[in-house]
Amino acid sequence: MATIAFSTPQRPTRIAFPFKVFLPLSLPSIVLLLFFAAPMGLMLGLSFQDQETGTFTLASYGRFFSDELVLKGLGRTVVMSGLVAICVTILAYPLAYYLARSTSRWRTLVFALAIAPELAGVVLRTYGWLVILEDRGFINSALIWSGLISEPLPLSKNLFGVVVGLTHVILPFGILSLLTSLQGINPNLEKSAQILGASRLAVIRYIVLPLSVPGIVSSLLIAFTMAASAYATPALLGGAAFKVMATMVYEQVLFYIDWSFAAVMANVLLAMMLVSAFVGSRLESRLQQKLHL
Amino acid sequence: MNRVLTILFRASLIAILAFITLPLLVVVAASFSPTSAVTFWPGDWTFQWYPALLESRWLDPFLLSAELAIIVSLVSGLLGVLAAYSVAYQKCPGHAAIMSFLLSPMAVPQIVKGVAIVLFLSSAGLYKLLGTPGLVMAHIVLTMPYVMRMAATAMFNFDKRLDRAARILGAGPVQRIRYVLLPLIRSGLFSGMTFAFIISFNNIPLSVFLVRPGQTTLPIAVINHLEYSLDPVLAAVNVASLLFVLGTIILFEKIGGFSAHFHGGSK
Repeated sequence: MATIAFSTPQRPTRIAFPFKVFLPLSLPSIVLLLFFAAPMGLMLGLSFQDQETGTFTLASYGRFFSDELVLKGLGRTVVMSGLVAICVTILAYPLAYYLARSTSRWRTLVFALAIAPELAGVVLRTYGWLVILEDRGFINSALIWSGLISEPLPLSKNLFGVVVGLTHVILPFGILSLLTSLQGINPNLEKSAQILGASRLAVIRYIVLPLSVPGIVSSLLIAFTMAASAYATPALLGGAAFKVMATMVYEQVLFYIDWSFAAVMANVLLAMMLVSAFVGSRLESRLQQKLHL
Repeated sequence: MNRVLTILFRASLIAILAFITLPLLVVVAASFSPTSAVTFWPGDWTFQWYPALLESRWLDPFLLSAELAIIVSLVSGLLGVLAAYSVAYQKCPGHAAIMSFLLSPMAVPQIVKGVAIVLFLSSAGLYKLLGTPGLVMAHIVLTMPYVMRMAATAMFNFDKRLDRAARILGAGPVQRIRYVLLPLIRSGLFSGMTFAFIISFNNIPLSVFLVRPGQTTLPIAVINHLEYSLDPVLAAVNVASLLFVLGTIILFEKIGGFSAHFHGGSK
């Protein structure tokens, strides 16, 4: 039978590399490879390299972990970031809960107030905190004027000042990550619990809190990592005595011009972020178990 | 009991909002304060600190920062659209992996990126790039992922039937991009570019490694001054730069209309 006459001509099935699809991608990729991937790779490589012979060595890391001043700075960074993470999450929670549930006309205003300081930048906010917390600042002069204290309280140039300033800077990020998580909880769960006679406290304790654990952990994590790598706020509100990793990295580059040791510090900071992400995922399952989920 | 809880909750909200707004109010008040020792509530107001903003020691850093922010937001807008077009619109093979590569700079702290870039420039012998070119480059690495993510979200939400309709009606690829795709992703793109502008204008942790003596950005100029004294001029500088950022956002919003984007109304 010769009925093949109408068969459509087959296109050659050649798997062409889709240039048209990849072409627009080339420019952004080149920029990132050249200005981000290459520098990061170089930094990682150099930190494991002996400066004279070019062979593999862990000497720079040995120097890092045997330098008492550096280790103190690392410890200070961890304590500071942990405190900031906790403060941010505690302060962000009520606000995020309000923003997730409220239908009032104030909601937009509250949201704007919570996020707006982000536009102002870190310097302006840090300047504000300096004016408030300084020895001759707003709080101390008010307390001295009212006769409650005679000597100014040490509110800035120490851990307290840095934690207050960083909490303020990072708070919006905590609010946003908690908000996403709280908005994902079905409000009917809370309503039905209330109908069944649960008090507000019980609703929060047994429903809202356990279901928002992922949001709590992501808020803690974001705040911790942002605080650990923050530079300007610790530099200004911490003063010369309160050195953290970021300020030490900066010193290594600009004062001691020791790039390789700065690279080692930067890598330790990066490793700390990875570790905290890991700890965060562990913390999440732990918390969920504890809250009977 | 529930009543007490409600009152406590309201009180905590007010306290937290006060905590958020207090430092900003203090700076505004300080910029009108008559004495150089900053007091919170000045008895009489003064504008005496504002003319100092026109001195070259504040004007030059401001111009550099503004120039950087404009270049950075335009370039990362262009790069972001190109990347989002491949990844989110054409869904190129391996688009999920490529997207996570393109977003990877966000996972690295700025100070780490700063050291890497300085190390790179120094070992490649490119000291000459310190200053404006280096700053532009570093800021783009910082802002491009944000722009890309927002442009990509807009393209993922883009209704492809509109594009097909345009094609059936005889529009060529350039026309379809110009008249269908770009207008529909505009709000996403402009919010990304606004982000880029704010991040670049206020940036410290990256810029600090790349500025040159005599050629610094505004935040760095302020921070250097702030380490020695709490001068009301600094409050005036900060208030002025905040107003500049707000003005630019309003301008971007006028062109791009991105506030609809945040209310989910751009569909």
